[in-house]
Formats: sequence, structure tokens, C-alpha cells
Amino acid sequence: MNQFRRIGVVGLGTMGSGIAQVFAVSGRDVVAVEADRARAEAGIAAVGAFLDGGVARGKVSDDEKKAALARVTASTSLSDLADVDLVIESVTENLEVKREVLAGVAAAVGDETPIVTNTSALSVTALAASLPDPTRVAGLHFFNPAPVMRTVEVVRALQTSQDLVDRLVTLVSGLDGKQPIVVDDRPGFLINALLLPYLNDVIQEYDDGLATAEDIDLALKLGLGYKSGPLEMLDMIGLDVHLNATESAYAATSDNRYAPPPLLRRMVAAGHLGTKNGKGFRTEEKSTR
Amino acid sequence: MSNESKTVAVLGAGTMGSGIATVMARAGHRTILFDVNENNLKRGIETVHGFFDKSVRLGKLDATAGQAAKDALVGSTDLTDLAPCDVVVEAVFEDLQLKKEMFGRLDEIVSSSTLFHTNTSTLSVTGIASGSRLPERVVGTHYCNPAPLMKLVEVADGRHTAGWAHKATEEFLGSLGKVCVVTKDRPGFIVNRFLIPWENSCIRALEAGVATKEDIDTAVIGAVGHPMGPFRLLDIVGLDIHQQVATRLYEQLRDPRFFPPPMVERMVAAGDLGRKTGRGFYEYENTRLFGS
Repeated sequence: MNQFRRIGVVGLGTMGSGIAQVFAVSGRDVVAVEADRARAEAGIAAVGAFLDGGVARGKVSDDEKKAALARVTASTSLSDLADVDLVIESVTENLEVKREVLAGVAAAVGDETPIVTNTSALSVTALAASLPDPTRVAGLHFFNPAPVMRTVEVVRALQTSQDLVDRLVTLVSGLDGKQPIVVDDRPGFLINALLLPYLNDVIQEYDDGLATAEDIDLALKLGLGYKSGPLEMLDMIGLDVHLNATESAYAATSDNRYAPPPLLRRMVAAGHLGTKNGKGFRTEEKSTR
Repeated sequence: MSNESKTVAVLGAGTMGSGIATVMARAGHRTILFDVNENNLKRGIETVHGFFDKSVRLGKLDATAGQAAKDALVGSTDLTDLAPCDVVVEAVFEDLQLKKEMFGRLDEIVSSSTLFHTNTSTLSVTGIASGSRLPERVVGTHYCNPAPLMKLVEVADGRHTAGWAHKATEEFLGSLGKVCVVTKDRPGFIVNRFLIPWENSCIRALEAGVATKEDIDTAVIGAVGHPMGPFRLLDIVGLDIHQQVATRLYEQLRDPRFFPPPMVERMVAAGDLGRKTGRGFYEYENTRLFGS
């Protein structure tokens, strides 16, 4: 285990709780900070529920689950981050909110403590610029669900020191089943730069009547061996999350492949957000095949 | 049309044609593999026999069934041999005129109730159907390579395809153990429509130096749940095939996302076509595909 023994995770939504779990399972102590007690408890409960699934499938023992949960300390105060070795910020994808949270983190931690962001939509360089000593800031982008997906993007902002990039690569390589890829801070980094246009393209063709949602997913799963079809993947990601990500990429590039398809906007406007609220492209079907 | 044993012809003894003939013979249909060229035909029949021999060796087929499947297959270079066919599957070279002509000539040979299937991947089903005096009997049935192993068939009606022909096609493919998805007669159907721009954007990311080919392959598998990274897949598909499919889709859609990036043209010019030539994005000692 390298220098990063105690990890701070700020924001315990889907991504934050998954990231907290990854580090707790790796044997590290995790200080998990949320805005209020209820959210903190919900985040810890999400970790417990995810680990229960692992226990049910025989991938984690009950003792391992208990030990991992015992390593997570929930908090509602950034001041509890004072002695952590690394902070991962995973709050909502909003530049102003993230800047404010990151400023609070920087005030709480040591002058040289690395601060990384799990943003997928915002510029790491812009976030780093608002902090004292931006050389200790980088992106550490996990994919959903964080405990399952192997790839982690180590995102190098213009200011990020090479030493921090190297340390993050070592950190990720040491996590069970995780593989780091170092990428520059471009809109969408590597994976979303490829994935967002593809998903937008599928939404537009679906809206244009190419085939049913089920047949589009089935064709790509059977024809190419994908684990999930694009429309069920969008339901999983959350249509509001995808809309926000692709709008940000479009704003940053003016590349029309990132322009949100009209159907996506309509679905989000109607409150159809995907799996999380049971309304999406594939949520109303039972699989018939 | 009932689903007992039928007489089925497959036109074209290339990779797709011999693969589709394997599917038909394995399902117990009397199968005629047709090719104008004796040597191609011989090679195609050997491919089918080789597949059944291997299935028997691997215990996936018992020896009697393997022999029966081989016996179900005959070759022909004479189109008039196709007279008794219930279904004709066209899998000749991807050339609109050639495909139209085949169906036009078959009109004079087979019954008016014979189904015509076209395995085109990039041409218009409607355009190919126009070669027949009875375009209502023509249905697009796009198999995936290798056809004997891949369950998916994309089914696309042309503008004049009749409801009975579509229904009979879905029933027939179902009886072969295939899973049909129904799509429109649009360039690339579903799979190539989304695969080609995806592969092109991965190639452009590589050209732009965003990451190495190894890193992109690994990251895509680990982040998106694909079974294989884009460059490994391109090496299996063949860079020449990718270039042809991408170019044909671009010609129809005029959308630059479909146009093969310059790196593809360079690789094809250098003869680095992928696994089959021993070098594509990666290098290979074994140039055989699918372990056959």
C-alpha cells in the first residue's frame, strides 16, 4: 500500500459511495463527508447494500463486509479531513458547487495533500485553478458502478505535477481489479469523448424509428458481445446525468456530435430519468427473449 | 410455408455464403451452395465440411448428425439446379448490379412463392429487390460473421416487401435458432450503423495521440463492458473490410463520422490488414481467424 493510507471522499451519491467502498475494501480508512446526516447515512447504507449483494453472490465474506464498513467514518464536516492523505471530491456536477466544496477541502487539509475530483463533465484544469497549489490537483474518474468497472481515468490537468500522476497510477494499480489510464484534461477525457456521441447517435436513430429500443440493444449485445445495450446503459447512467455530461462537452467543444438529441431533453423534462425512477428507454419492458 | 425440411440455396461460396450454408445444412435443410467459380465452390464446401468435422471432434455434434449435415449440402455452378428451392439466400460480392441480376435470373428458374433473402451489409434492400419482378418476396437478412456461431440476424424489409414474406422470414430464421431484430432498410442497419462511427472515432483518438492503442483497448473493455477493444476488433474484421463498409456508408449518408480516417488508408496501403495478414494495429504469429 503506498502513501495514501487515509482517504477522504466528499459527496456520497452513487459515485461517491462506490468510490468510498473501493477504498474501504482495499483496507484503507475512509472519511466520508456529506452535507447532512441523512445523506451521509444514505451513502453508508448504499455501501452496505452493495456489499450485501457481493456476500449473496459469494464474492465477499460477511466478515470482509463488516470490516470494510467499519473502516468508513461518516462525517458532515470538512474539518474531519484534516489528517487524510488524499481527498476525492464527488459532489454534484456543477462548477460553482464543486469550486466551493473544493475551497473548503483545501482549507481543511494539509498544504500538500493531493485533492482529486471525480468529475466527468467539468474541466479539471478550471477546478484546479481556483485552489492554492493547483499542482496537487488531478482528476480521478471512476465509472459507474465504481466497485465493478475496472477502468479509472487519471486525468492530468495543465497544472498537475508528474509526481502526483505517478502516485495516482500506483494507487489505482494497487486496487483489486482496477486499471488506470492516464489522459489529458480534454472534454470527456478518453471514454466519454467516445461514448457520448455514440449514445446520442443511438437516441436520435431510435427517435427516427430505426428499430424498437429492445431490438437496438439486442442487436448490439448479440452482434458485438456488449454487456449492455446503449439504451439500457443510458437508463443505468441516468438520462439527466447523460444530458448534463453531453451538454458540458458540447459547450466545451461546439462539436455537434455532443449536442443533446431533442428526445433526450424531452425525456428529462418529463422526469423520465432512467432506472433510478423507473422511467426510461427500457424500464417498462420485461425482457421477452 | 411450414418449418419442415426445405430446399435452400445460398449464392456465393465466400466467408458469409459458406457460413450461411453451414447454418442451413446443420438445421436439416437440403442445401445447395452455388458459385460461378468451381474453385470457390470447392473451397466453400470444404469450409462447411471442416466446420462439421470440428463440431464432431469437439463433441458438439454426434458423428451421425455430422454426416447427415454434410450429406444435406451439395454444390452447384448451374443456376437452373436451384429450381426446387423454397428459400434463396444471396451472399455474393457486395455489388448492387450483380445482386440484382442474380435475383432477376432466378425469377425465371424458381417458383413465384420462393423467398429471396439478401445478406447485404451496406446496400439497399429495396435496390437489390428491384432486380426481381416480384420485389415483394425479397427480404434483407443480415447475418453476423461467423454465421454458424453468431445468433443475430438483422431483418429489413424493402419498400415493396410483402407482409407474408417478412413473416415467413422471421419464422424460418427462428427455426434455424437465430434471433431476429427488425430494422429499417437504412445504411448499416443497426450494428454497422453504430459500429462504424464508433470504430472511426476510436481510430481518430489514436491518431490524435489521446492514448496508446493498448490503453484505449483496455480502457474501453474496463469502462464500457465491451468484450474486446476497438483495435483488436478492427484487426479481426480486417482494415480493408472496415474501409469498404465505412466508405459505402459514407457514400450514402454523407456524414463525415462514417468516413474512414486517414490511418485506415495508410494501413491498407501497407498491407497491414489485421490478423489475416499477421499485422494490423497489433502483430500476430497465427493468422487464422476464430481458431478454425
